[in-house]
Amino acid sequence: MKPFVFFGGKGGVGKTTVSCAYARKCAAAGVETLVVSTDPAHSVSDVFDQQFGDAPESVDGVDGLSALEIDPEDEVTAHLDDIRNRLSDQVSASMVNEINKQLEMAHQTPGAYESALFDRFVEVMRDSDPYDRVVFDTAPTGSTLRLLGLPEFLESWVDRLMHKRRQSIDLFEKAAVGNNEPRRVMDGDPVLARLQERKEFFEYAGGALREDAAFFLVLNPDQLSVNETERAISDMADENLEVRGLVANKLTPSPDDDENGRGARYLRDRVETEHERLTQVRESLDAPLLAEIQSRTREVKGDLLAEVADELDVEVAAEEPTFV
Amino acid sequence: MNVADRIAAYREVVEEWLRGLYHGMISHPAYEKIEKEAEDLEDAFLLACFPDAFGIPSPVSYYTAEILPYIESEFKAWERRLWDRQTMLERKGQQYHF
Repeated sequence: MKPFVFFGGKGGVGKTTVSCAYARKCAAAGVETLVVSTDPAHSVSDVFDQQFGDAPESVDGVDGLSALEIDPEDEVTAHLDDIRNRLSDQVSASMVNEINKQLEMAHQTPGAYESALFDRFVEVMRDSDPYDRVVFDTAPTGSTLRLLGLPEFLESWVDRLMHKRRQSIDLFEKAAVGNNEPRRVMDGDPVLARLQERKEFFEYAGGALREDAAFFLVLNPDQLSVNETERAISDMADENLEVRGLVANKLTPSPDDDENGRGARYLRDRVETEHERLTQVRESLDAPLLAEIQSRTREVKGDLLAEVADELDVEVAAEEPTFV
Repeated sequence: MNVADRIAAYREVVEEWLRGLYHGMISHPAYEKIEKEAEDLEDAFLLACFPDAFGIPSPVSYYTAEILPYIESEFKAWERRLWDRQTMLERKGQQYHF
């Protein structure tokens, strides 16, 4: 199995549970594992009953497992503040306001949240050396997984920007008559340097996601979730990302055969419907159904997590990252 | 002053005039034209970086915002040119000083 494993799916299907269970399973198999959550509701903290922050911290009571929680909003703010600091170093006071306006606009676009998340994901992958496996519990926004397919697109965009910048600088240099200083100089241009940095970042991201990542989708056995999953698989296929497998979560347990009360009839009915949905998943979806996890009567934590981990039939042995 | 000196002085005046005329009519407009072209390209670059300034959403504006601290002069000039520019024909034909 690839060193980077992503679990995606709509909100509430149990991504965090499945991610944590899988991470635990990996750790139990002796694979040094980091589980990364992006949920602002801090659900990984809830699962392990322990507060996690922006830096990896080892999980109490589980050997070889660490966790890290990313708050996308904090990331956006940090990005904004970082640019602001550089802004006040470089730019004259009269222009700061003007540029600030532009800056704030860029951080309020609908994509800012996802971009911040994506940035942090890639950073975590880059600095994943101490771990054999990184499990990502992706935020339930629809575009997060899609964004993972975008590095090539973003890279070529940055490429075009660099090309334009080079062209104009080149002309400025040519336009400098005699001993006049050209208005812009190619050598050491800070804009090109920044863009180059970004380009390399996307290059790495694209490579790591293509070569060293595996994607799984978590779903519930109901029509809505199955439809969503089907859409997600085809969206990701459009971006050349293959979904390795599906995990069905929150299956209703069936009653004993001799029971025939109202509750038992309800359960039996429910189980039958879910069975149909799962058959549909097996037959019509392009990715294999790897695990079926039953609903629990309370939140999955502690020992329950180990139980769930047992039901999760996903390979744990970690390959070395090939794209560095 | 002999004839040779007078010819030399005359030639000096003529050469200075020729240099001036060449500079004013040929080389300077040419450089001006190149510079204009460079400015146009820079405008295109800035537009591609910050299309949201015109209400066009961009997937990279989060990233291009990182170069804002380094493009103060470009940004200023960009805004000025945007206010200033009326028609493409006017801008492209400016070097002829109609």
